[in-house]
Amino acid sequence: MSTVQSDPSTMIRSNENPLIRFATGAGLIVLTYVVLYALHAFQQPRALTSYSIAALFNNTAPLALAAAGQAIIVISRGFDLSVAGVISICNVTLAVYPMDGPGGAMASVAMCLAIGGSVGLVNGYLVAVLKLQSIAATLATMIICQGIALVILKAPGGAVSEWIVYEMTDRIFSVIPVSGLVLGGVVLIWLALKRTSFGISIYAIGADETSAALSGINVTRVRFLAHVLAGCTYGLAGFMLSAQTATGNPTSGTPLLMLSFAAVALGGTALTGGRGGVFASIVGAATLILLQKVLFSSGVSSFYTGMFQGSILILAVVFSSLLARLGDTK
Amino acid sequence: MLRDQTNFSRSEMARDTFALQAIGLRKTYGATVALERGDIGLKSGEVHALLGENGAGKSTLVRILAGAVYPGSGEMFLDASPYAPRNLMEARQNHVATAFQELSLVPNLTVAQNLLLPKLPKAGPWFVSAKETKRAGEKILARHGLNRIDPQAEISKLPLADRQRIEITRALENAGRVLILDEPTASLAETDWLFERISLARDQNVAVLYISHRLAEVREICSEATVLRNGSAIASVGLAEATDSDIFEMMVGRKAAHEKTPRSTRASNDRTARLAVKKLGGHNLHNIGFELRPGEILGVAALEGQGQQWLFKMLVGLEQPTEGQIYVDDHPVKLVGPRNALKTGSGIAYLPEERKTEGILGGLSAATNIVLPVLGSASRSPLISPKLETDVAQSSADKVEMSTRYLNFAIGDLSGGNQQKALIARTLATGAKTLLLFDPSRGVDVGTKQSIYTAIRNFADKGGSVLFYSSELPEIVQLADRCMVIYGGQVVRSFAREDITEQNLVAAMLGHVTSENSTEVKA
Repeated sequence: MSTVQSDPSTMIRSNENPLIRFATGAGLIVLTYVVLYALHAFQQPRALTSYSIAALFNNTAPLALAAAGQAIIVISRGFDLSVAGVISICNVTLAVYPMDGPGGAMASVAMCLAIGGSVGLVNGYLVAVLKLQSIAATLATMIICQGIALVILKAPGGAVSEWIVYEMTDRIFSVIPVSGLVLGGVVLIWLALKRTSFGISIYAIGADETSAALSGINVTRVRFLAHVLAGCTYGLAGFMLSAQTATGNPTSGTPLLMLSFAAVALGGTALTGGRGGVFASIVGAATLILLQKVLFSSGVSSFYTGMFQGSILILAVVFSSLLARLGDTK
Repeated sequence: MLRDQTNFSRSEMARDTFALQAIGLRKTYGATVALERGDIGLKSGEVHALLGENGAGKSTLVRILAGAVYPGSGEMFLDASPYAPRNLMEARQNHVATAFQELSLVPNLTVAQNLLLPKLPKAGPWFVSAKETKRAGEKILARHGLNRIDPQAEISKLPLADRQRIEITRALENAGRVLILDEPTASLAETDWLFERISLARDQNVAVLYISHRLAEVREICSEATVLRNGSAIASVGLAEATDSDIFEMMVGRKAAHEKTPRSTRASNDRTARLAVKKLGGHNLHNIGFELRPGEILGVAALEGQGQQWLFKMLVGLEQPTEGQIYVDDHPVKLVGPRNALKTGSGIAYLPEERKTEGILGGLSAATNIVLPVLGSASRSPLISPKLETDVAQSSADKVEMSTRYLNFAIGDLSGGNQQKALIARTLATGAKTLLLFDPSRGVDVGTKQSIYTAIRNFADKGGSVLFYSSELPEIVQLADRCMVIYGGQVVRSFAREDITEQNLVAAMLGHVTSENSTEVKA
């Protein structure tokens, strides 16, 4: 009897199709980026100089970090709108209270992380402990944060400390962009986190919260920490945005809100939770920024950028689900 | 013969003979009393059955014992010391582990990770070691005779039966004192593996609580049973001394008619087949052929994973066959989906396998769930009339003996049995002449089962055609006029009427088609 029983199931093995892994992992979005970059380099041969590459990294860093934080929340099955508010607060704080020199920069980073972390604490309390819907809770914190940003700085102005503006957008040994290092650092931290129980738990609660709880995972704690972690990442995004714009604007975070979701989706992270990654989301953000550049150098008016970005997003989602289905039937 | 549960559980002397004892557990959700008086005593090295109709409070009692729900009042003792787990982990630390009916596995993690959660083996102070996780998972699987399952396979990629085995394996691993199995055979077509595991646990002096609707199984493995009715423990009884009808009586408070009702052959060969299939293939199925005539109930018997799901899905157009042809009322058709199937010829209505995910719409009322396919008939204008909706739903609900008062409840709040009744009522409400029912009485109690059987028989008596699959052989024996057995993606045997016996079906389902027993069947 037992031999008969095992017959049909022996076929089920973890021989995961490479096509599926490509479609669900970062492969597709990296390939998209490379193709787009080749097009960019073809149009603009100067794009291959280390100066242009650094400039591209500088432009990418704020959205990429916002997307990285957003990805953590989305993987754990949630949405975080507070990203816009955190970035705005960090930006106006740095513009109103500039602190010069490397020490000042350290203090500024710490301040941004603290701002993001605090907002994350509040989000975490509302979403994980009080079990409010994440989209409603973070909508509220976003509105509050934007209010705070306006209190700190009424209208665009102020100046971010020169050391930050100069050094954070510079290149080390005239080659390696500092902003690229920051992104690399975040990716490394995430890759390390993914190998911890916490990292595995984020994916678990995103896929099935009840089962995760019944398997002994402390869902409240994991969700709480995920929000704090995401908040810190947004703080870092606000810091990098300030370095790039050099000035303060109480609504500077708003444009990044929707794009952070677009970047996450473009990176193949399921908005229903449980699947995806931070690295893919960062590349997704980079693709959106690069697309702007390519359109600009193709002479397309910037009014059309949004239309192209949206279309690329649809194409990416359709393509990756097609690939996944193709892999499934094989 | 029957001992009064309350008397013996309250006696101080009995307390230390129990591994786990619960006295007077009570749990309410708002105004609803889920468990009125939960009394049960489990002894080490014994398998104890928990019986009761759906909604009798079995799940609540299990969840309290498992630590997933905290009782409003009552006491529990584990080896005579007070036991009040606040959560699942606390219960597990006390070596009380549960395999849940609805499975508590995380779909996007691997088999090994699920088996070891929440304590994954570490490499260094922080990182989880993938290699050690795999190795530990492999060891656990080997220990439970599941070597064929890859520890690194993702849970969502496994068939339901294997997921259930993993859930049971995890509970076995953590059950040093008490093992709770909630409907462990819901997705298992055979019980050999499970009973072997339970016997081993019993030999290691573990107290086992076994919840199942299948009395035959319960008799095979359990020595004692506690019966719940309407949230209260009615009695604890030695299974050797109680007859089936005694137990049914305790469960439902009335004698259940259980014998196969003799029927006249309703199907006449001269009428055109409602649904016919010739050389159908695809999704590992090959050369499937049958005809379903008006007034006929055709059963499908198969072990798990023999392709029966795909057959039903192809017949309602959820999946496309790669070869062969489907005929409805003698016309070749190509079905593209359930709605299309409903509108084709005399109509085909489908009852899906998974009640929760494929069947009910939890937030809507039972009435809305029933009339969903025919919403048009519940409206005079473009707007749906609630009154008319209830009326339309009522006529179908009557056929499955579903009480009117449930119609306006959100279906998600009803018991599993009533949800299933509503879904059967939905297929009847469509007005389709052919019903495809996949496991129509899956996980429902004896009383509900009989109501469902009656509804199916009445439908066939009025000229309807029914094709059904069941994971329970007695159901096929009771209901089917003819039965085909699918093994390895093919119809290996067909039986008619009096040849439909459990023994014949089992032999064919296991692929044991020897010339000897086929002549025997023909004779």
